[in-house]
Amino acid sequence: MLLELRSVSRRFGGLQAVADLTMTVASGSIHGLIGPNGAGKSTVFNLITGVIPLTAGEILFKRERISGLRPSDVCRRGVARTFQATALFREYTVLQNVLVGAHLLAAPGLVPALAWSGAYRECERRAHERGRALLASLGLGAVASQVAGQLPHRDQKALALAMALATGAELVILDEPLAGLADQEKAETTAVLRRLREQGITVLLVEHDMRAVMGVCDIVTVLDHGVRIAEGTPREIQTNAAVIEAYLGVEEPGA
Amino acid sequence: MGSSVERSAAAPAAGVALIAAAAAVLPLLTRDSYYLDVATTILMNLTLTMSFRLQVSTGQINMAHISFMGIGAYASALLVTRAGLSFWATLWIGALVAAFLAVPIGSVALRVSGPYYFLITFAFSEVVRLFFNNFFEGLFGGPSGLVGIPKPGRLLGVTFDSKLALYWLMAVISVVVVLAFVRLDYSRFGLTAGAIRQADLVAETLGVNVFRYKLTTFVLGSFVAGLAGVFFAHYRQVLHSSDFGLEPMVLLVVFAVIGGTGSVWGPVVGTIVMTLASELLRELHHYEILVFGAVLILTMLFAPEGLVALPGAVRRFLRRPRRRAPAPTGAGLAP
Amino acid sequence: MSIELLVQALLNGFGLAMAYVLVALGLTLIFSILEIINFAHGEFYMLGGYVTYYVYALFGLNYFATLVLAIVTVGLAGVVAERLIFHDLRGKALNAFIVSLGLLWVMQAGAQLGFGVLDKPVPSAFSGVVRLFGLVMSVERIVVSLTAIVLIVGLYLFLRLSRPGRAMREVAQDPDAAALQGVNIDAVSALGFGVGCALAGGAGGLLAPLFAVSPAMGALPVVKAFIIIIVGGMGSLPGAVLGGLLLGGVEGLGTLFMGSAAVNILGFLMVIVVLLVRPRGLVGGA
Repeated sequence: MLLELRSVSRRFGGLQAVADLTMTVASGSIHGLIGPNGAGKSTVFNLITGVIPLTAGEILFKRERISGLRPSDVCRRGVARTFQATALFREYTVLQNVLVGAHLLAAPGLVPALAWSGAYRECERRAHERGRALLASLGLGAVASQVAGQLPHRDQKALALAMALATGAELVILDEPLAGLADQEKAETTAVLRRLREQGITVLLVEHDMRAVMGVCDIVTVLDHGVRIAEGTPREIQTNAAVIEAYLGVEEPGA
Repeated sequence: MGSSVERSAAAPAAGVALIAAAAAVLPLLTRDSYYLDVATTILMNLTLTMSFRLQVSTGQINMAHISFMGIGAYASALLVTRAGLSFWATLWIGALVAAFLAVPIGSVALRVSGPYYFLITFAFSEVVRLFFNNFFEGLFGGPSGLVGIPKPGRLLGVTFDSKLALYWLMAVISVVVVLAFVRLDYSRFGLTAGAIRQADLVAETLGVNVFRYKLTTFVLGSFVAGLAGVFFAHYRQVLHSSDFGLEPMVLLVVFAVIGGTGSVWGPVVGTIVMTLASELLRELHHYEILVFGAVLILTMLFAPEGLVALPGAVRRFLRRPRRRAPAPTGAGLAP
Repeated sequence: MSIELLVQALLNGFGLAMAYVLVALGLTLIFSILEIINFAHGEFYMLGGYVTYYVYALFGLNYFATLVLAIVTVGLAGVVAERLIFHDLRGKALNAFIVSLGLLWVMQAGAQLGFGVLDKPVPSAFSGVVRLFGLVMSVERIVVSLTAIVLIVGLYLFLRLSRPGRAMREVAQDPDAAALQGVNIDAVSALGFGVGCALAGGAGGLLAPLFAVSPAMGALPVVKAFIIIIVGGMGSLPGAVLGGLLLGGVEGLGTLFMGSAAVNILGFLMVIVVLLVRPRGLVGGA
């Protein structure tokens, strides 16, 4: 059990965005989080990564409390994420973006940087190597020197994933990794996710493309109006009455 | 902006060498007291604008930067005149006092961001200025100012009575400062600073403790400002609270922004160009301010990223795809 | 310390507060619509003062008519400034800051060259004092406060009820949404800037008889305006009024305990406290 949410709640003024949510993510799995629009999925991600504080409950990662930590400390524990609106450092090149992601693994400190010491240069050289390897594994090797803001959508999404992976995280939380991708690109991305699982990296994702979700996830949790209404294997979810009702009450979200 | 180690160290090294060479050559060209004074002022402003720019590179527009110069200045002035310490000790102590006070002030200011950070640091700077102006007149001199600050004492047998010697002192200090900031900017430090400026939430979720980063630049910048302040106190030998108020602070901002805050070289260009411009315009008296103001407006409208970005903009302008008129049939006369 | 003394001190502080609130409203209006901080705002106040000097003091037009003229003239000047300089800088705070600084210098130097450096006195339009319950208030200051209140109410009604006013509020709230709904952002920007400057010009005209007119007269009011809008909340009309009353009261009382030079520090301390405890300001919303 890698990630554990215990009775997590989040209230915004009068709105209960997440209500008493309990769920667990098993190590080495691909875990899907689905639900109609407004179900609170992105809020859950923000709670896990420390972007917003909990109103109640706690979140544990590797059996240690991470709720209440600032996002950089959550990342330090081994949790990285992407954002729904692809968030990159648009003025930087692709490689520079990944190098920022490698911050935790490569930060030699202020004094070595000032002194341009051998240790610092070595640290950076290794960060470069790892960065390039990571980019290559995600099909971005050719665009390493391109400015991130000018990349096509598919590459931007791949870059966001690369940045999250560069942190060395054991759990990557992906907010709509397939949004805006063509079918072929979606297949490539899900293949990447399976490869991550083989490498021992756990994936928690939010997605609206039901087919993809059911195809790649081991476990799926369903939220509606901030409440967990179902959890189980894709097969179990697809035949769950409460889930079907939750989705029938809402317009079909575009895949 | 920040970059990876990949970029060769050649360009920044050349830049620093150029600045050091220019600083070294100047006294050979002139011993005129006026020119040395201008040059010393440029070098002093350089350290201030570069340290200011360090903070801007993380997205902080710190209007209290000049206050830390003042803190260093008053600290050293008092320690030398009242406690009999040597300038060579107070140079560091003054800077450290500034850095020390920067920790709580910065921590408080960093609770807000954007225009609110700008405003709260401005408020801090006014509080500090008014403090030096109106309170403890016995110590700080009140509205009449603090006078009688001695020049630096002997060091290694060298006296620092002349403008030339003080120029050399400032030149050494500023070259070291430039070197340090250039190194930082080209290192991972600069890379992270730029990342924070572009998308601080993303940087935070990638493991960068944005608050600690910004505070580090705040304290480091304040240390350098304090250093400049100590020199200022013993160079001018008189201190007045208006030396650390809105007007000089605004000039620092102008130098940095006109030069271009996107690059570590921006403040260098901006400080030199604008100081020279204001000296040239000085003859015009009232017109000086008018022209200066017009220059600001025009530069911001036509070169919003600063002078340092002009060469790139010009290059892009020249390389832009041009529309070709269709070739006329028959005689090949160009349209 | 008698209660009378305290209340008198408060009254003295309030006496000018409403005029400074006008300046603050202009500043906050510009901030909320263009998202920039206009450092040259005090210069438009100064323009209003000079219009009043030339038209009322020298030419002899009725005081209130002059005030209207000052408001309109300075408002137009604001529109010109926005069209020529500021409209491309919407949202770019740092660059707008430098530009407004440049404009400040241009206008100041221009005033020095055009009008001369010396203070120009403007005769009081109203004389005498009012005594009530042992408290003293000059008629002039009462008129200033009342006129300012009228203008503030006028602004409120304009923003609430008129179409351009509502458009301005929409742009201040969410420029992208407003644009999608067909609001002409450029026109609203220019109008907003113009109205903001007009308010400053009006304040300049109101306070001209109390303090002399000079090229640098805008410096103090604009600083007070900044304090007011930070304390009250940037972008909030009632906040500006509340902030103005608070500042007026604090400074009025402060003069009893410390010299008037030192009193200025109080405003900045208020700013720091507010920015820490409630950065959005006392009434600040989004």
